[in-house]
Amino acid sequence: MSNVSAVLSGAVAMASFATTLFFLKFWRQTSDSFFLLFALAFAIDAVSRAAVGLTHISNELEPAFYCLRLAMFGLIIAAIMTKNRSRSK
Amino acid sequence: MSPFIFGLCAATSAVCAGMLLGAYRQEKYRLLLWSGLCFVGLTLNNVVLVLDKVVLPDIDLSTLRLLIALMAMMILLYGLIWDAEG
Repeated sequence: MSNVSAVLSGAVAMASFATTLFFLKFWRQTSDSFFLLFALAFAIDAVSRAAVGLTHISNELEPAFYCLRLAMFGLIIAAIMTKNRSRSK
Repeated sequence: MSPFIFGLCAATSAVCAGMLLGAYRQEKYRLLLWSGLCFVGLTLNNVVLVLDKVVLPDIDLSTLRLLIALMAMMILLYGLIWDAEG
């Protein structure tokens, strides 16, 4: 990983972590699980990006890190679908 | 296996972006707009990831895709810090 990529990777992980804290705050204010799922999704993103930045991953191991990213998107989809369902009731 | 997971990341992030922007059109809740725009960026990030790893493995596009991811997260952070209220 080049120096620029390492810096960018850390910056994205930090941004994801900050976003996690914002959604956790919204969840504490509203007790709405929608925000908790978003917080969890961005926490997973922060961890996976930090992990990719910190390790020298092989091509074989790489998909495992991207499965975490897939889990993040799955959580976001679940959050929106749950919200839509509760609203249509 | 890897191309499948990279492709799935791009597809699911596009679904997230579509759902969030669709919800914004109905609800007009600003946070949904910023989140939707963030996921448009993350989708672009994952499309460039597929290009980088699968289509053009000889060219290193990591700086470009990380720049796109950072822009996407900055859009959401801007919304969260300055513009989250309704």
